[in-house]
Amino acid sequence: MSRLPEDLERAPLVIAEDERPLEVAPAKEPTTPAEWVSRNLFSSRASGIVTVVVGVLLLYVGLRLLRWVFVSADWAVVKSHLRGYMIGRFPQAEIWRIWVAVYFLVALAGVSWGASGLRLTWSWGKAITRGLATLAALGALLYLIESTRIWLALLSLVALFAGAVAAGRTWRFVARRLVIGGWLLSFPVVILVLRGFGGVAPLEWGGLLLNALVAVVGIVLSFPLGILLALGRRSTFPAVRLLCVGIIEIVRGAPLYSWLLFGVFVLPFLLPPGLRLAEIIRVMIMFVLFSSAYVAEIVRGGLQGVHQGQYEAARALGLPTWRMMALVILPQALRNTIPAMISHFISLFKDTSLLAIVGFLDVLRIARIAPQARFSGSLRQTLLFAAFMFWVVSFSMSRWSQRLERRLGVGER
Amino acid sequence: MNGDGERAGEMRIVDAEVERGPDEMIVADNVKKWFGGFQALDGISLTIRRGEVVVVMGPSGSGKSTLIRCFNRLERHDAGRIVIDGIELTDDIRNIERVRSEIGMVFQSFNLFPHLTVMDNIMLAPRNVRHWPKQRSEDKAKQLLERVGIPEQAKKYPAQLSGGPQQRVAIARALAMEPKIMLFDEPTSALDPEMIKEVLDVMEELARSEMTLIVVTHEVGFAKHVAHRVVFLDEGKLVEEAPPDTFFSNPQSERTKLFLSQILI
Repeated sequence: MSRLPEDLERAPLVIAEDERPLEVAPAKEPTTPAEWVSRNLFSSRASGIVTVVVGVLLLYVGLRLLRWVFVSADWAVVKSHLRGYMIGRFPQAEIWRIWVAVYFLVALAGVSWGASGLRLTWSWGKAITRGLATLAALGALLYLIESTRIWLALLSLVALFAGAVAAGRTWRFVARRLVIGGWLLSFPVVILVLRGFGGVAPLEWGGLLLNALVAVVGIVLSFPLGILLALGRRSTFPAVRLLCVGIIEIVRGAPLYSWLLFGVFVLPFLLPPGLRLAEIIRVMIMFVLFSSAYVAEIVRGGLQGVHQGQYEAARALGLPTWRMMALVILPQALRNTIPAMISHFISLFKDTSLLAIVGFLDVLRIARIAPQARFSGSLRQTLLFAAFMFWVVSFSMSRWSQRLERRLGVGER
Repeated sequence: MNGDGERAGEMRIVDAEVERGPDEMIVADNVKKWFGGFQALDGISLTIRRGEVVVVMGPSGSGKSTLIRCFNRLERHDAGRIVIDGIELTDDIRNIERVRSEIGMVFQSFNLFPHLTVMDNIMLAPRNVRHWPKQRSEDKAKQLLERVGIPEQAKKYPAQLSGGPQQRVAIARALAMEPKIMLFDEPTSALDPEMIKEVLDVMEELARSEMTLIVVTHEVGFAKHVAHRVVFLDEGKLVEEAPPDTFFSNPQSERTKLFLSQILI
């Protein structure tokens, strides 16, 4: 079909005028589904065989899974432990605190969305995917949630989000300033709402709330710490360099699990007498340290991608080193690291399931202990649901990162 | 010895002031520089006066870029002494930053900041080094974009401009600091031929504004019409310096003659 010379090695570098393949038609976009199938799935005998084998396997596994999920499995266990999955043993009387925090975050997210001026792009394919996803979510929620109060709360959240988006769009310039402050304050605010004024100690937090909290603390603190470590690694002072390399290599040298055990059992003896940190805090410290070592290496990669000329231009303008780093080098270095960084943060979020084996009541632990007594034998359901929760959060982060990459792609070299 | 005695006590960096005439912007005295075992500069002595336009020429590897990069301390000289507008360049970072804010530099590969718009590229240093208020930096940036002839590109990102306009932005960025000296390191070597002139025109306009310019370039036309003096380097040594008409019509050293015969084809 193609008129290009078959053996490119032997092809002449200059092709005579009359031989020049002027009209090499770009591979025609397939027009009908049948054509697409024949081109992509059955283009040769081998490809046809692979298609059939893989197709049959997928069909077999998929059908069995679907039948199990929708027909044979009894999800009552998940239904009755839903609150445990979400918040662990958070005392019933204090649950309003969580709702306050959720309302706050949803409003903030809505205003940010509105102020950012982003709109969902629309196409038939996306509309269908979104429609199906919404239906699936709605179906699952309809099955899982029976309490009218929670339904009302969810509906009001949707309304609040829509209202916040509209408000963000209308008062865009004010909103832009507000949301930055809002997000900076969001973490202390949420902690205060949950913990302050006779609230609930982190020891009693559990479920997704705990996983999310540890992940957010880990991400938010390890990000700047990792940047500092990466910069320290390139410092001109040998002592600083040695210290940073030492921290990075030692922390990366052992599995996170062992660091968590270290935080739980060893760290108390290393702390100065009189300083006693709650177990959850010690565990968080280990998460932050562990993550920052990886962040540091990701940032180091990003820094290597910044051209030497950028340093020279900044120095030639008289920028002091720290300003040069903050204003010229890091913005470029960090943009290059978004995919690796988000990937690391997703994996950090999933690693919070290790909380289960150092005794916290996180999502995975709930899944392990839920199938008791009345629900014995339902471990498959509870584990699958836990996996599903991790997937939903991880997938959202991944999509968000793609969006971020596209947005920051402006002014690409 | 121009009676600078009273200034000598001013600061410890002023040792060199004794030899400094009133209009001497750059004094290089027996400057040497090694890269590992390779000697890039071998005892360069050169004095450049305020408002002077000096073109530095020489074959590649002759040390011409290294020399001007020593003037704003992008390279550290290993021996000898460099005094910029009365400030000697030492390892003291405060002196270095002071000198750098008085010297603008334009690079062969532009080195614009790709994550900032043209406006923000220009405003970055005035805002963060001079600590000017935003309005003042903005006015300055707009005025400079007018001056280099591309006011309509203010909101674009560097990657959206071709070479010529990028280099003009780079010149505006350097000028935004209101420097006393401008260094140009082969500013047209990376440009497509049709864009060389627009950049040279901007530089010529600068030269007429009494700015002190040091230009590393192979543009003979620019050297002939604009420069007050041409300096020829070879193998890290200053081989010849002369006004352009003498330099091009009546070169003294064999090395210069050979070089000119190669570039003046």
